Amino acid sequence: MAIVPAFTDLTRPYWENARAGRLVTQRCDACGRSWHPPLPVCPHCHSTDLGWQEVSGSGTVYSYTVVRHATHAALADQIPYVIAIVELAEGPRLVTGITGCAPEEVRVGMPVRVYFRPVADGITLPYFEPV
Amino acid sequence: MIRRQVAIVGIGQTDYAKALPGTAWDLAIEAVTKALADAGIDPADVDGMCRFAPPFEPVSEPMLVRALGIRELSFFAESPLGGEALGAVIAHGAAAIMAGLARVVVVYRALSQSKGGRFGRADRGGPSGPAVADPAADIVVPEEDNRSFAWPYGLMSPGQLFALWARRYAGLYGLSDDDLTQALGSIAITQRRYANANPAAMMRDRKLDWETYRQARMISEPLRLFDLCLENDGACAYVITSADVARSLRDDPVYVLSATQTLSPYREPMGIYVSGELTELFPPATAERLFDEAGVTRADIDVAEFYDATSFMPLRSLESYGFVPDGQAWRYVVDQGTGPDSPLPVNTHGGHLSEAYLHGMNGVLEGVRQLRGTACNQVADAAVALVGAPAGSAVILAR
Repeated sequence: MAIVPAFTDLTRPYWENARAGRLVTQRCDACGRSWHPPLPVCPHCHSTDLGWQEVSGSGTVYSYTVVRHATHAALADQIPYVIAIVELAEGPRLVTGITGCAPEEVRVGMPVRVYFRPVADGITLPYFEPV
Repeated sequence: MIRRQVAIVGIGQTDYAKALPGTAWDLAIEAVTKALADAGIDPADVDGMCRFAPPFEPVSEPMLVRALGIRELSFFAESPLGGEALGAVIAHGAAAIMAGLARVVVVYRALSQSKGGRFGRADRGGPSGPAVADPAADIVVPEEDNRSFAWPYGLMSPGQLFALWARRYAGLYGLSDDDLTQALGSIAITQRRYANANPAAMMRDRKLDWETYRQARMISEPLRLFDLCLENDGACAYVITSADVARSLRDDPVYVLSATQTLSPYREPMGIYVSGELTELFPPATAERLFDEAGVTRADIDVAEFYDATSFMPLRSLESYGFVPDGQAWRYVVDQGTGPDSPLPVNTHGGHLSEAYLHGMNGVLEGVRQLRGTACNQVADAAVALVGAPAGSAVILAR
């Protein structure tokens, strides 16, 4: 059992890029600004001329929590795990997970870098690990 | 402006317990009936209803209208976003009364976490979620409110979200783990002491000392077991009417001075992508609106009931609502505290941490009791009370 995102017309490009090893954010082709999660319209200029841009995959830990109590049966064997908000170098923030270090070593402000973790058939999630 | 044009004239609540025999429907009927009896109003005369929107509130308006023998509702409204309905339901009820759409508005909230799902368990998506058909199947998370970008990482319960807030706060203001523990523990232990003097509180007989608090298991760091609210069955209700009708019913109506709801970008329920500072849970202008429309200042507030799904929320609410400067409440709650002799007693019923979890409604009822002078932990001469949720939905009440 895995917990996987629904693919919609709006979100499919994000997850298909992740499966191909690219981290992307939605971008307005009219005004050039970028954000996450995706929207049907640019929140700045209301253009519907939207695309996706690959980002560097570098960021810092904006906040995190070490989960030691499973709230769902699907997560029981992952305890403890780290949920983080990562602020990308390009600005937008993502909810993600941190691996590659002990949970106790995660800190707010810690530099991290994206990697791609297959979690189910056809589903790859962007995760982060310390630089 | 609402300022004293409407009042709360009746309050009612059921027992609070981990499991009660009744359904949420039974509990809602009991709480509403008690609130109407307290107000001296015949249920047949109710013509307005405000409730928390589904999926949070499981008891529909038609279920109550038929059960209570209400002749006709001319106004009914629902407020979304869970606990952030706290002030909104009062704002809606007040607006309806002031516009002549209704004369007597009932507000209710019923919870049966023992029979439905629990907020602390994501398996069913909360208390009103459907039963899981195939526990072994993959869970496909809908895009709605950005959940599809959060749940796959195991961010599925409110407690985890508030842990992210608390950790960000600690990182932003340079708190050590021990600083944060001291601050959160001060709130949890103070509220437990209030609950120990409140016969309605689930934790009335359970003491909480520092050693027990510190040694409790971590749920989602930095939040421990005692930093998270109770999960329980129960219901609360209250009755709002115009000031004129209120005065004809009782000598001690509790007037509504102001009520706020607020929504700005990136505030979806797991709204943590906000481009500004995460710990700014609502625009500062909202708090100014709450006080300006009430015509009172922070110094006029005698008691505050802050929505506390976790201990971090009253801490941050002291700052968000302007009682303590940003980044200083952690020190304030250790130095001054929130107890009976502090500058601002907070969650005098024990709050969600130690009385019961009723989505902020029990905080409103406690505010009413404080202003009637009938609270278990009565604040001397309480004249003005603030009841507020962490993201800006609030009410100021006065006797």
